[in-house]
Amino acid sequence: MSQLEIGRLLRADTSGFVVGCRAAQSMSPSFGSLVNVPQEGNYAIYGLVHDIRIDDDGLVRQLATAEGVEDSVIADNRINRNVPLEISVIAVGYRKGERIYHLLPPRPALSLDEIYLCEPEEVRLFTGSGSFGYFRHILRQEELPTGELLAAHIRQANQAHEAVEKGIWAKAAIREIITLLRDDHQTLMQVLGALGDALYE
Amino acid sequence: MKENLRVRLVIPAQQVQEGGFVVIESGDWQFYGLVIDLQLGATDPRFADEQSESRLPPELAQQLHGQTLFTNLEVLPALMLERGPEPGTEAYQRWSEEIDAGMRERPRTLPVKTVPPHHASVRQAGPGDIAEIFGDPEKDGNFVIGYTREQGHPMCLDLDKFIQRSSGVFGATGTGKSFLTRILLAGMMHLNRASVLVFDMHNEYGFDDTASDTGQRVIGLRTKFQARVRVVGLGSGANIRGNTPDYNLEIAEGDIMPEDIEMLTRELNLKETTPTTLEALVNSFGRSGWFNAFSRMRNGAMVEIEEEGKKKRIPAPDSVAAWANENGVNVMAAEGLHSKMTRVFDRTYVQTQPAADSIQEIIKSLEAGQHVILSFGKHESDLDYLLVSNLLTRRIRQAWEQRTNEFRSRGEGEPRPLVIVVEEAHKLLNREMATQTAFSTIAREMRKYYVTLLIIDQRPSQIYDEVMSQLGTRISGWLGDEDDIHAVLSGLAGREALRGMLARLQPKEEVLMVGWGVPMPLPVRSRRYDERVWQELLGKKSEVRRKETEILGDLGF
Repeated sequence: MSQLEIGRLLRADTSGFVVGCRAAQSMSPSFGSLVNVPQEGNYAIYGLVHDIRIDDDGLVRQLATAEGVEDSVIADNRINRNVPLEISVIAVGYRKGERIYHLLPPRPALSLDEIYLCEPEEVRLFTGSGSFGYFRHILRQEELPTGELLAAHIRQANQAHEAVEKGIWAKAAIREIITLLRDDHQTLMQVLGALGDALYE
Repeated sequence: MKENLRVRLVIPAQQVQEGGFVVIESGDWQFYGLVIDLQLGATDPRFADEQSESRLPPELAQQLHGQTLFTNLEVLPALMLERGPEPGTEAYQRWSEEIDAGMRERPRTLPVKTVPPHHASVRQAGPGDIAEIFGDPEKDGNFVIGYTREQGHPMCLDLDKFIQRSSGVFGATGTGKSFLTRILLAGMMHLNRASVLVFDMHNEYGFDDTASDTGQRVIGLRTKFQARVRVVGLGSGANIRGNTPDYNLEIAEGDIMPEDIEMLTRELNLKETTPTTLEALVNSFGRSGWFNAFSRMRNGAMVEIEEEGKKKRIPAPDSVAAWANENGVNVMAAEGLHSKMTRVFDRTYVQTQPAADSIQEIIKSLEAGQHVILSFGKHESDLDYLLVSNLLTRRIRQAWEQRTNEFRSRGEGEPRPLVIVVEEAHKLLNREMATQTAFSTIAREMRKYYVTLLIIDQRPSQIYDEVMSQLGTRISGWLGDEDDIHAVLSGLAGREALRGMLARLQPKEEVLMVGWGVPMPLPVRSRRYDERVWQELLGKKSEVRRKETEILGDLGF
């Protein structure tokens, strides 16, 4: 379904993976996007982008401080980097055959597997299936910027859903978040604050 | 069960009130309960404390409040009823067959003995539920006393049950006690299962009256039940609000017993020597002659006699002192009693030889199934009320006891049940008087002798506890005083919960019904005493008549 390749897998564990990509590819996924890693046997792992990291190398450091560097040199260094951009993804579910599960994948993807950005239709299918079970993977990761990630994800996913039916999905998603977080006032208020900024500008 | 049930509200809190009647459905059983408290709650107190409306967009704030803030009801479970499996299913069929075959008890409402499970759904009671618990308004003997406060479903009182035990109508002044009593009396007189004797201290019930607050005309019971109600005026030539009573009550001196005077101890401010003096009087003149003889004695009369050539003043032979000296009674005590009893001697309705034995006439009327309203006319003092009501009640009690004993031994001529309506009951049933008056005996044990009381009072705390605890049905309007509230609810389950409800009733037209005569406590908007009451009451009768003519028509007459 999804055809926009964004990179290849660098390392993975059950709860997430890191993708390496070229600078040109890095422009397509954004924070909170849903991506998938097709595997053999009509099996695919889904994840949410939660971090995009651009590391430096020795040459970049030199160029950053050098004077009179030509534009072509800078452009060359940006595009043909020695160190790839790293996109960190949190695993949120998988698809086996036509069925979507909001569970952690049974086994992680392998190195150098290709990673694709999900099209709106696939986003709608994944997020609309079941009852938001994948939220718990996001909320479990304490080091994640939960509020921002949920806000970005819900905003993007809502756009995919709005095309089909207006306002219903986001409302249900927010209700689920409140239910999951109602005993944690601080986190809930952070998430709702971010959601307020993202959805109701 | 000790702590009541908590119910999470899913509708706006404004739609439910304290005192609401709710039904809890749980499988084969239905529980009936009373809302006794509403509490605001939050999953975390901070959600309630913080004004999130200003921080979040309105849509989000609304969703947040919907899930984190809530209202809880506290429900006092009262009754439960087995409903059986879903009608139309095979299990239901089997269930009802088992009942028909007598293998299983027919479902009836029971006092609550268990609790419904978590998350059972709770709904407000509909007219069907109220009819199930409090009786069908269409059924004979069920009398619509008011309407539920929230939805206005008619609520019945089972008058048959109501008259089986003594009952009370309470409420602070101006809460509609006398209107409610009129409605109750109208219902009882119409149902006609018991005779009613009303001690009408303020001449309110017999003839038409004008309401003190609205100025509207209030129809008297005599007006509507011409044939069944007798209005008796106290004293000859009594005139009750410009109307002549059916007959007058005069009391023969011979009917007044020493205990009638002893009962007036507080009213007449009598001394401790009174019982001794009275006993001596009875010894001298007999139980029926003492009052007359004592009233004829002259107090302080002296005569001069010559003794051994000297003039000497001694008490006259017809004086109190002469009698006291002869009978070894303290002269001061006898003279004091005589002077204090002047108030009783002066009563115009106390006659040496009344034209008729009107007390006997009242008893006869009551036995014949008529209702008697004794209007005190111009004799409105506490002395009149205490003396006459106690004397009459004592005679009635004797008559009913005698008839009941005859009925028990011979098995025929069952006495007609009698309800004695006592206004300002605390004057007769307070702690000091209760042991002396006939009323407390009636409240305590006369149920067996077919006599019960209907007590109307504004200070229930002044009534003797032993009497209060015997009251079956208690209908109470608003009460402000803690002690009064405590007295009305004495001896009832869940009274702590009901206490607040009683204090928060609307001052007018709202009453709380509690006690043995009602299946469960419930606050009710009492109905107005208006033409509709009469239409419903007397209308029913004409329906019956129509049915009779139809039957006769069918038979070919």
